[in-house]
Amino acid sequence: MSDIQIHQPTHQPAHQFAMVFDLNKCLGCQTCTVACKTQWTRGSGMEAMWWNIVNTMPGRGTPRNAFELGGGYQDGKPLPGELPGKRDWGEAWDFEYENVFFKSDGQGGDYLRPREHDGATPEWGPNWDEDIGGGEYPNSFFFYLPLVCMNCSNPPCLEACPRDTIYRREEDGIILIDEERCHGYRFCIEACPYKRIYFNEQRAIAQKCISCYPRLEEGVAPACVRQCPGRMRHVGYLDDPASQVSKLVHQWQVALPLRPDFEVQPNVFYIPPSMPLAFDDEGEFDDDASRIPMEDLRRLFGGGVDRALTIIEDERSNVAAGGQSELMDILISRNWQDMLGPFTQDPGVLKRPPSGDGG
Amino acid sequence: MVVASNLAVHRVDAELDDLLSPDAPAWDEAEESAIALVPTPLERQPSAYVQAAWQDRARGEVSEVRVRAVANTDAVTLRLEWGAERPQRRIDDVNVFSDACAVLFPEDGQEADLDTMGSPEQPVLAWFWRAGSDEPFSITAKGLGTVERTGEHPLRCRSRWASGRWRVVLAQPFAPPIQPAGTVPIAFAVWSGAVQERAGLKSYSGRFHELRFDHE
Repeated sequence: MSDIQIHQPTHQPAHQFAMVFDLNKCLGCQTCTVACKTQWTRGSGMEAMWWNIVNTMPGRGTPRNAFELGGGYQDGKPLPGELPGKRDWGEAWDFEYENVFFKSDGQGGDYLRPREHDGATPEWGPNWDEDIGGGEYPNSFFFYLPLVCMNCSNPPCLEACPRDTIYRREEDGIILIDEERCHGYRFCIEACPYKRIYFNEQRAIAQKCISCYPRLEEGVAPACVRQCPGRMRHVGYLDDPASQVSKLVHQWQVALPLRPDFEVQPNVFYIPPSMPLAFDDEGEFDDDASRIPMEDLRRLFGGGVDRALTIIEDERSNVAAGGQSELMDILISRNWQDMLGPFTQDPGVLKRPPSGDGG
Repeated sequence: MVVASNLAVHRVDAELDDLLSPDAPAWDEAEESAIALVPTPLERQPSAYVQAAWQDRARGEVSEVRVRAVANTDAVTLRLEWGAERPQRRIDDVNVFSDACAVLFPEDGQEADLDTMGSPEQPVLAWFWRAGSDEPFSITAKGLGTVERTGEHPLRCRSRWASGRWRVVLAQPFAPPIQPAGTVPIAFAVWSGAVQERAGLKSYSGRFHELRFDHE
């Protein structure tokens, strides 16, 4: 099986839609998650779908052990992937509303216990490791890692589908699933190393983040981007040198792909978390030690993370000393609209705001 | 029971609704053919991922399907039976695949490439059933990865699993390429949900057999 032929789209899109998430500004509030949920995944069979999810790191992710389930490529060859069951993704839990609101006297300590479809107590769910964190007090640490479809330039989902159900848009490189063509084989879910494709049991089809392409076509930024209270999401075309995404990825080289070892060339990039200084045994700041282990960050963002963090720190010092820094201006997001690239249209003033049909 | 190459269609005077029952008495009168099944060739799978992910995985689990065919004046009815000790009756989880079966014909009633699921010049059509529903799919294909479900179709189905075996009855009124006289090439496929078979990963007859209407 050494001569396996990889099938990928031969054309390059006219533009490449990209996102940059600044992990130093993510609040972990899941407003993006709920914005996406409200917009796109209210339909039948989509109850447990979170096309956008924010995981607390260190953590095992969504679904459980998401990045350890295979998929992607190694030395250019597809890696087999596992299919997690819904107990690993997290079910759409039921809560005992009836019991708590109408049958309890309010004094018995009853509360809204989550229950799985068969009544079992959940043992996993989206961002289950929210409160775990890493390190030992006082050097404990955590950070948030938002995830959406990465719109990979080397998309393993597209390659895996034997029906050519998944395609890369010629105008912006967004990866979409043709739901009419999908027969629910789920090879795409196995092949996605980020596990960002869901299965709709009711319709027996695969579904995933669509980068809010109907909004983009109206000049409106994706719901997760526009709703982000932390203003940590930059969007635009990677091939436009004037765009913030291009400046952060190409010019300043501080926005990095997640798990580059997956070899899928994702088009979502991350500003790595700048690390708080560690405390030494005397309870003083240790200028030479950081709380987040560098090996953890290198595993997530590749070898370029050391340099990226150094660049950010240098520019921060520059500004602290009274200097000017384009990079800091971008990361501070002085002008919110500048983060949105060409997608600055206010959806509220459109005659027919782009909207999901709930399915 | 005979080892198939020819599958004789047994003529009956019965209503289609009665024949649809997997245990209808009419089935006892029909000759049973044992069709050997083999795994589909992995190198034909139209995806490098599928080839890589399945080179060391069990597949082609079902090695035989037993087929009986009966017809009344209006329709032909096929009953497929095979062993499934661990039946997958429905898709009820992300990692669950249901058992399934299909019969396939050259669209022109003459010939087509079975290994490629037909071609643009010689398409195939098939009747496909998947556990969890007795609403079968009528499909066409013009090559690997080109399966299309047809919208409205007269295909009917009923299924039953008992004692470790599936019995699935598929029925359709006579229409080209299946006519109430002569012969038509027919091929078979079974998917085992227990080993996550799906799409081109299945057991198939490896060649066409002949469904014969002219023997009586």
